[in-house]
Amino acid sequence: MFNLPNSLALSLLLVLIGCLGMLRRRSLILILLSVEIILNGVNIALVSFNYFRWGTTETGHYLYMLSIGVAAVEAAVGLSMVIVLFKNFHDISPDRIAKLGESGS
Amino acid sequence: MSPQILDPLFAIAALGLIALSLAVVLAKNPVRSTLLLILSFLPTSFLYLMLQAPFVAILQILVYGGAIMMLFTFVIMMINPAPKGGEIPGETAPIRPGAAGFLRTALLLSLLAAMAFIVVPPVYRAASAITPTPISKPGFGSLASMADLLFRDPANNPLTVSFELISFLILAGIIAAINFSRRRGA
Repeated sequence: MFNLPNSLALSLLLVLIGCLGMLRRRSLILILLSVEIILNGVNIALVSFNYFRWGTTETGHYLYMLSIGVAAVEAAVGLSMVIVLFKNFHDISPDRIAKLGESGS
Repeated sequence: MSPQILDPLFAIAALGLIALSLAVVLAKNPVRSTLLLILSFLPTSFLYLMLQAPFVAILQILVYGGAIMMLFTFVIMMINPAPKGGEIPGETAPIRPGAAGFLRTALLLSLLAAMAFIVVPPVYRAASAITPTPISKPGFGSLASMADLLFRDPANNPLTVSFELISFLILAGIIAAINFSRRRGA
């Protein structure tokens, strides 16, 4: 049960759940939240590959630390963009923002 | 720890993680969704502990749950009009309420299930063909071992440099966030 295939299947399922969230959600913040789920799945794959396949160094753990650094930056920049969009449009749905400020319809 | 004990623990952690992640995706209230994601970091962290990555498990709780997700919570609370029952603008769940919205969610869920059925078995088979190698490094995954990997051996200098370059990325992110938050024309 506790082996590489099951860990990879778990991480793949998390990625698919994150994709579901990205398709379903209608607000930019919650789409970013779904991206975090996807990143979580990828991190699990990294660490489990490191444990089951590469027991000599912690390269996967190192990649995990890179990944959360990137996730932190992504969250900071993405959320500040969301705040600016909310200040300008009072709405953070992608459908509205896709119009790029054209107020018609 | 013997593998027989690890099996049910893995099953519990994996099922809890999948259930919590699905709840994050399907929850109506965005604040609840964020808090559920923070809660889903607990089984993730437990999984990391089982994978002999204690430092990564602590990072998951401290940095991911404590810092990054708090940022999400603050932003949701900042632009969340409380009187509307915890709904942020634009998040009126499905665009068409009622049967059509339910149909849409059901369609997406079945799409997810179909993709899982298509994608998971080949990955499972390919991963089963890999022969596992036992852990040979003493103190694998501990903080001291990670520090050794990153900062002691000169052969690992590319790792060290790329790790330090992350701080430049964070600096760029800070500058971008400050730039976005400036008032227009100021």
